Amino acid sequence: MSILDGFRDKDFLEQITLLNDLAANRPAEALPGLLELFENPIGDSSVDSMVVIALNALLAENEPYAVECLGQQDCKLRTLCIRTAGEHRFASAVEPLTRLAEETQDQDLALECLTALARINDPAALPAFRKHLASTDPLASGLSIEMCGHFRDVSALPWLKEVVRRSLTGDRYQTCDVPTWKAIQALGDLATDEAVQFLASHLHHKNPIARRLITDVMVELGEKAIPALLESLYSPDEDVRILAANVIGFTELRSGGNGLVDAFDRGQADTANVRYAFYEAMGRIGTMKNLVCLMDGLSEPDELLLMAVVGGLERHVNPGMIRTLLDRLHRDDEQARRLAEAVISSKAVNLFQTLHDDEPAARQLMDVLVQSRDDEIHDAFRQTLERIGSDRSAADLQRLAEAEAAQSTGRRALAVDDSRSMLALHRAILGDLGFDVALAANGQEAMDHLLSQGSVDLVVTDMNMPVMDGMQLVEQIRNDPDHESVTIVMVTTEKEASQRGLAENAGVDAFITKPFRPEELKEMLGKLIGN
Amino acid sequence: MDVELAKPFIKAAVDVLSTMAMITPEAGRPYVKKNNVAQGDVTGLVGFTGEKSGSVSITFDKALAITIVKNMLGEDVQNIVEDVKDAVGEIVNMVSGQARAGLSQQGYSFQGSTPTVIMGDNHTISHVSSGPIMAIPFTAAFGAFTIEFCIE
Repeated sequence: MSILDGFRDKDFLEQITLLNDLAANRPAEALPGLLELFENPIGDSSVDSMVVIALNALLAENEPYAVECLGQQDCKLRTLCIRTAGEHRFASAVEPLTRLAEETQDQDLALECLTALARINDPAALPAFRKHLASTDPLASGLSIEMCGHFRDVSALPWLKEVVRRSLTGDRYQTCDVPTWKAIQALGDLATDEAVQFLASHLHHKNPIARRLITDVMVELGEKAIPALLESLYSPDEDVRILAANVIGFTELRSGGNGLVDAFDRGQADTANVRYAFYEAMGRIGTMKNLVCLMDGLSEPDELLLMAVVGGLERHVNPGMIRTLLDRLHRDDEQARRLAEAVISSKAVNLFQTLHDDEPAARQLMDVLVQSRDDEIHDAFRQTLERIGSDRSAADLQRLAEAEAAQSTGRRALAVDDSRSMLALHRAILGDLGFDVALAANGQEAMDHLLSQGSVDLVVTDMNMPVMDGMQLVEQIRNDPDHESVTIVMVTTEKEASQRGLAENAGVDAFITKPFRPEELKEMLGKLIGN
Repeated sequence: MDVELAKPFIKAAVDVLSTMAMITPEAGRPYVKKNNVAQGDVTGLVGFTGEKSGSVSITFDKALAITIVKNMLGEDVQNIVEDVKDAVGEIVNMVSGQARAGLSQQGYSFQGSTPTVIMGDNHTISHVSSGPIMAIPFTAAFGAFTIEFCIE
């Protein structure tokens, strides 16, 4: 007599209790009865689903039977066994599942097999994944691509490259599809020279999400990515050189830092945009060669570049650097004034604290500081002056308080950029125009600010940023009735019309291309929202 | 691995909408987004926890949401706003439940939260997760909807 005899005549509670018991104790003799119930369901969805759970539990104990059922033509039981094999990682199922995935024309069945094989995680299943790399089902192809990457299957490389190339054809670049996402990650998993080289050559992918994915993968690859990134510093395409320098900076690797200096010395930083990216990256890394190059950069007449230089030096303050800076400030010329402005605008509090020991330098810096209309700058240096605790700093604190009392503003602006130097520049420019300026390092921070602090009159945002890029930020702002009237200016180095078109559709009011002189932005803002 | 987890949700959405609301949706090509925002007129959102945690949202165009309500309630629509809210919440709950049942057969156990419904033309909502979000666009006779799916 079987445990399940008369099951259909029992009441609901008895049925559930019995099935629960079977699922927990897994008696082998209940298998035929459960199979019968599975094939001919009771019709009550709770009971039927319990039957599946109990049957799954029993199959988990009976690998040979479950694997044998993979060859069945009965779809229902076969599907259950495929899932059981995956869940319990049945090694003996790899061969039949691989065969099934290779032979079937049914996309649902193929995805079931691939999913189970992915969970079993045996490289013997590679032929199945290879077979579905180019599947028209994006989920099957995405999963296959991911697994080929996971097993470092170099034979998949040509297809992975093809997927990324195809994502750029026609108007496909407007979205980043699942196979493209997985292909970028798989190329990173393969990490062969060819794969890394390929990723480096696509740093400037037209789709912002794909571009972010590539950047993330390159940063994760670290040392392995450096040779290809250094090579990209010699690309004829300016945007590629900029992105390569950014990624090198994010890795914070010394090999990358020294390579940046070599490329700089060979004239690869020939435009202000590229030079800016180089300085920022060198500042993040800070090898001895980087610092020497940054010190040379103190002669840059361009305010933006000078801020990148000072921002970089701020991270690695040393006595030699301070001597040079004092020497420059003591010349009391035009460049000395720019330098003092750069120290204040980029909130270089460490440099400020050390330079403040010197009377003439302290005076120059304070002259600039009291001119600033930016609360955050005032706060930062107020804290620094308090920390210094000398007689001179006490007098300067008094001077700062008086200057603040004389200023007051009504308009609010939000500057969004992942570069500290750019933020500092925006703060200085917008502060000059009489805005109360708030800063955010990416779109998400900007949205958080708008949510917690209420709307602003003006948003100045970068396009490429981590976490949430400028395009997505603009879309979100424009979709919120609270911020309908916000004027949005996008700062960009991108030159393709396609990028601007996308941003314009999202709701950007005006663009300004980096590098720009502060006057240009001021003039544009004057036209957009009045002085 | 997470791509394959999307399939049960797609299947559940198609099943639930075709049986409950007499709508036959067709899935488009999934795409990836990195911001955590869903856009549309009516959204139902369910968070889930378990082996992995994340959230699923279904965002409907207004026209489609109204069609669904009419199909579900017939002529008995009392207060369109309340009824849309109720229907979308119910649909998302059913999709989440059915998908989790499917996933449990693959050995994943998830607990779902009570669905939240957000209404408002072109609103935005946030997902719980910080990872990439997979969006699956669907088209149906009276409008479009999108399922978004993200797993930590």
